[in-house]
Amino acid sequence: MEILAVRDLSFTYPQCSSAAVKNVSFTLERGDFAVLCGATGSGKSTFLRMLKRELTPLGEKKGSIIFCGTELSQLSDRKAASEVGFVMQNPEQQIVTDKVWHELAFGLENMGTPPDEISRRIAEMASYFGIGDWYDKDTAQLSGGQKQLLNLASVLVMQPKLLILDEPTAQLDPIAAADFISTVRRLADDFSITVIMAEHRLEEVVPICDRLLVMEQGQLIASAPPAEVIAALKSREDILCGMPAASRLYARLGIGGACPLTVREGRAFIENNYSNRSPQLQQDEYTHKSNAALEFGDVYFRYERSGRDILCGLSLRIYENELFCILGGNGSGKTTALSAAAGLLRAYSGRIKVFGKKLKDYRNRSLYKECLAMLPQDVQTVFLKSTVREDLKECGADLSVLPYDISHLLDKHPYDLSGGEQQLAALAKVLAAKPKLLLLDEPTKGLDAAAKQTMMTVLRGLKEKGVTVVIVTHDVEFAAACADRCAMFFGGRIASVGTPHEFFPQNSFYTTAVSRMTRGFYDGAVTLEDAAELCRINGRRE
Amino acid sequence: MRSFSEYNPIVTAIWFFCVTGIAMFCNYPVLMLISLAGAIVFFIMRNGLSHGKTHLFFWILFAVLALANPLVSHNGKTVLFVMNHNPVTLEATLYGLNSAVMIIGVLYWFRSFTQIMTSEKLLYITGALSPKLSLILSMALRYVPLFSRQSAKISSAQKAMGLFSDDNIIDDLKGKSRIFSIMVTWALENGIITADSMEARGYGTGRRSQMRRFGFRGADIALLIASLLLFGITAAAVGTDSLSFEFYPALNAGAPDTLGILGIISYGLLIILPMIIETEVNLRWKYLRSGI
Repeated sequence: MEILAVRDLSFTYPQCSSAAVKNVSFTLERGDFAVLCGATGSGKSTFLRMLKRELTPLGEKKGSIIFCGTELSQLSDRKAASEVGFVMQNPEQQIVTDKVWHELAFGLENMGTPPDEISRRIAEMASYFGIGDWYDKDTAQLSGGQKQLLNLASVLVMQPKLLILDEPTAQLDPIAAADFISTVRRLADDFSITVIMAEHRLEEVVPICDRLLVMEQGQLIASAPPAEVIAALKSREDILCGMPAASRLYARLGIGGACPLTVREGRAFIENNYSNRSPQLQQDEYTHKSNAALEFGDVYFRYERSGRDILCGLSLRIYENELFCILGGNGSGKTTALSAAAGLLRAYSGRIKVFGKKLKDYRNRSLYKECLAMLPQDVQTVFLKSTVREDLKECGADLSVLPYDISHLLDKHPYDLSGGEQQLAALAKVLAAKPKLLLLDEPTKGLDAAAKQTMMTVLRGLKEKGVTVVIVTHDVEFAAACADRCAMFFGGRIASVGTPHEFFPQNSFYTTAVSRMTRGFYDGAVTLEDAAELCRINGRRE
Repeated sequence: MRSFSEYNPIVTAIWFFCVTGIAMFCNYPVLMLISLAGAIVFFIMRNGLSHGKTHLFFWILFAVLALANPLVSHNGKTVLFVMNHNPVTLEATLYGLNSAVMIIGVLYWFRSFTQIMTSEKLLYITGALSPKLSLILSMALRYVPLFSRQSAKISSAQKAMGLFSDDNIIDDLKGKSRIFSIMVTWALENGIITADSMEARGYGTGRRSQMRRFGFRGADIALLIASLLLFGITAAAVGTDSLSFEFYPALNAGAPDTLGILGIISYGLLIILPMIIETEVNLRWKYLRSGI
């Protein structure tokens, strides 16, 4: 059955000359799982909001949206609210009430559902999602991943036929994100709920979706099963840059055939098409300076006297002018270590030295003057003024020395910028203090692939200028592509450390898709470039 | 088998108001002593011997309150001694003591009340009055801590970026005021998304219903009737001067009549009710557990 039919849909914001959405037409069948991708500003969010009547922005609309045979605008209020579910990006801000059970009940209460039925439906939903354990908790106590699952569950209790998700995993760590995506896939399979989901994180979601929609400058340029879309767009590097590694390798090598999507298919693709006579890639020897920029010596930290140790004998040396990535799971203490290095938290034992000087010897906050600066995970917390210009002026930032250009953002409100733009503006503000040691907490969170590329270039530029950069991240691919050295954080200390080409081939789970794909066939391939290079060197299998 | 705190919140709240109402609006010493003793026993039954600081604070306050009256008020016939040319009277001392017993008793009751009445139960009670009011309260309960967490986050972010250039109070205050101004923006911004999320889930499409997590059972009704009945008798006794006690100018305790005695007994019973429930539950639980 056709759930959604969009015909010639166009939308123009008031006082804008060009349309944000142009002539979009497509249909979705019941139980379809469609993924919508496209660069930031390509009109994805506007388009998705047009499909949810309550969230449709003001502006000029042309064309029609037919939902289950009825024009969307003709539906009754309650039907429109309950049958089309919408989950937004930020897990925290969508939550309305203070208790988990009340959040689940909220939608049904709005519908005027009788109390007994509310209890029944919530009980059902809570057991399906495994929410039972935190049913009575305060919503504030949940982790980001749990909050987003709660948002999903509290939309689903209203039994929607169409579920719209606007970058739901952007703020989640990879494990929570994978969990969330597989839950959505299960919903489409188990209850034939039709799903349309905008995503930046395409590695996991593209292989399991039924349809891949690609938007560019307001137009829908592709709508087909993912392998077909990638095969058709293989010359468009800019669109493919967020796609699964296997498919990017396929596009890079350009030899035709069926497009691989998963790691398994990618491996088969390489093994069937290329030989491995010389599996070793020549690597340059990594050399670092001898002075340490940041040094942890047997550091212990806990938040509460009777709590557990979050940092547990952490010892680590980061040398001057290094780009150092710290990877690790949630709650392993990465962010805590960074905050301790920035002097925001005080270790109860052990020593932390910045440029050879103990933290406590930096008196009168001299630590933060031309020495160390930290960019927190939530970059919104960096801004204090109503335009980027005022914000930068306040801290005396000199735009001409920035290694990148943000002049087009200056007159906007910092909260109105996209994730990538916010990250760059915040970085500009942090750089105003001319730090020699820069600490970044999850700088790629919520960024699309293009913004990640920009971030990488910027960080390399900073390194050229002699800045030491320490990055805490979940993003394995990002670390592999930009770090000089990587470290794995586990249980409050460093479990292993090395250059990307030593580090990732040793790991079997916490490693890049390319490394998993080529393991045992080629040695030490970590990034897409490595794999493509090795394939070229070895040549096609006869 | 439910302990007192698991009874229907409306019933528990009414019971609390009956007990504290009598304690606050009369000054008959026997009732005050019953109230204080009951409040302490109830608090200890629920918390054991922890919360030492609470006890300490209450008893220091008790001492202060009891001593303040005779030092300030010099009414009364029986002069105990003269201090700084001011007489300290027996009546004023006893009056102060009585007031202190009353106030500390009520404070103990409220302490237990806030422990039992979680935000969820308060919402249930307000929801019975108006579902909208209850929703607003629920949002506020989420919002206030969210606001303070965000401002702590901003504060540490700014610190690590060198916003506070010097380590002095004036600079700190300047920084704090800038943080407050952006917090207002943040709250509004946040509010828009929350409002979107509410509308997307059908808020404002018509009459709201409310999920009820607490039902009325037989025991709830029994407890409600018992509370109101006992409260009625005590109130009648207090209201009709059956229990009268005058401190000034001289102590004058009229012997309580039958209604007065009934009133005292009723108040005692009213206060013992939850303890009976708790003890019964404990004993029953011990018995049942021995069978596991």
